[in-house]
Amino acid sequence: MVIVRRDPASPHCPPLDRERELIHVDCASHTYADGSVGIHNMCFSVLRNEIVVLCGPNGSGKSTLIEHLNGLLTPSQGEIWVGGRSITKGERTDLWKEVGVVFQRSDDQLFAPTVLDDVMFGPLNLGLTRPEAHAAAISALEAVGAADLVSKIPGYLSGGQKRLVSIAGVLAMRPKIIVLDEPTSDLDPLHSDRIEKVIRTFKEEYGISVVIATHDLDLAARIADRVCLVKNGAVFAEGTPEEIFYNPELIEEAGLMLPHTVRIYLEFCATGGIEPTDHPVRLEELIVSLQRRSCDSSR
Amino acid sequence: MSQAIISPHIPDLDLITVYAQRQDTWFSGVSPWTKFAGLFLIVLLVTLTKNLLVCISLYVVVLLVYAASDLPVRKLFSWYLIPVLFVLSLVGIMAWTEPGVPLFTLDLGIFPLTLTDAGAMLVVTLLLKALISVTYSLFFLMTTRYQYFSAMISRIFPSPLDQIFLMAYRFLFLTLSMIGAMMKAIRSRGGGIVRSLRVQGRIFAEVFALVFIRSFDRAERVSRAMISRGYQGKLEAATDIPRPGLSGYGTIAVSLMAIVLIASFVPDQWGLVW
Repeated sequence: MVIVRRDPASPHCPPLDRERELIHVDCASHTYADGSVGIHNMCFSVLRNEIVVLCGPNGSGKSTLIEHLNGLLTPSQGEIWVGGRSITKGERTDLWKEVGVVFQRSDDQLFAPTVLDDVMFGPLNLGLTRPEAHAAAISALEAVGAADLVSKIPGYLSGGQKRLVSIAGVLAMRPKIIVLDEPTSDLDPLHSDRIEKVIRTFKEEYGISVVIATHDLDLAARIADRVCLVKNGAVFAEGTPEEIFYNPELIEEAGLMLPHTVRIYLEFCATGGIEPTDHPVRLEELIVSLQRRSCDSSR
Repeated sequence: MSQAIISPHIPDLDLITVYAQRQDTWFSGVSPWTKFAGLFLIVLLVTLTKNLLVCISLYVVVLLVYAASDLPVRKLFSWYLIPVLFVLSLVGIMAWTEPGVPLFTLDLGIFPLTLTDAGAMLVVTLLLKALISVTYSLFFLMTTRYQYFSAMISRIFPSPLDQIFLMAYRFLFLTLSMIGAMMKAIRSRGGGIVRSLRVQGRIFAEVFALVFIRSFDRAERVSRAMISRGYQGKLEAATDIPRPGLSGYGTIAVSLMAIVLIASFVPDQWGLVW
């Protein structure tokens, strides 16, 4: 893949990969009731079995896009196709069955009296019987490692536990795509790590495509198959993490900062007067690159 | 865990829930349906009887049951303030108009107010009835796991009342925690609800207005999260509630018979000596 730069002024939005495309967003605009523009010429795709990360600063339009993917919002102008059918033309009203959303604030998502009730809520809405919904809920809680919380009251859970239960509530519905808004914000490193592992299992074990909205580029570097940079309500560049994160001008244009691994590697190369030919973005890649570069310079 | 946010006289929802989830006394193991039937029977008895001795005896029994459940008695007395004020506001005027043997007269100039033995007994009896109901209700809430309680609401109440309850309870937690956070912020900068109520009335009005606005905002976000998971107007409580055992049914039957006997044969004024 090479970096795809999009001109936010251009209405042209071709499909990224017709064979693998699950969602295609071609949204000319979404304007809120107060007149503020949430999205402008947004062109975005979600492919089968990938983790795509939307990176952008606060207020760039990530959350607005996420609510479009689940059908909570519809474009003021433009269209969204899910599974080849348009949701804006009313062909799809059951988008929630295929696209699950984990919201940024778990307290908003957990409304039922107990964890079990909350996780069973989605499966029951899908039309499952109570025993089936119960089994789906238990299975989802086990998958995220939160089976011990089944009879707890959501209000008494820690932030990390709430996030895990929120994810289980969506996973229990077995959607094709799971969208997570800032999944590791406000979490301690251990819980963040646990959430990351859970997200990886979505793709690796369940074949679920994942969309993550975040301004944490370290997370994006660790987990993404594809990175989309969002600014002023539009995706203006996308590519692999290596391509995107080794283009400091793009990151600066997005109003973000390079991931730590990239910064360390570039600093290391600059200090040693070495050409940064490798493009490590994950920690293990960085270690390999640094070891090799150290060996090269010692010869 | 527990924090009396505004006043120690307002029942603390967090504390009540913590006790309910604790489940380490004998009464916690009693079927929620049996305890609920107990509430129904107690309300029935206090409605039927006017006898002060029956009320006193029932209050003592309920209080002993509450204490035996290892529930906080001192806090209970503190929580009595609101029901006591409520009852006094209702019967405080009625008590002066009851015919009977005068106990004392208050001369207001235009007309004298006389409190009779019947008036005083009316106040005491109604107070006891209110405290019995409050004490047993709190005992029921504090010894019944919340998931059982919500499932009972879901089974007993018709829609949309059950829906409103199931959603309102969690929302109440969130709103209380929001108020708690704001109160902390106020206190951290030297404010206080009693000390500053007169001086900072406007600030408090603004704070509570903000709570309402934030509550609406939060309600909207909760609603969106529910819709995103296919909410179509039905929220179900999943927990199975333990049924009463043979002893539970027996206790209910014996209690019901006792109430019928008391209501039929114990005179309203029996046992009173003025």
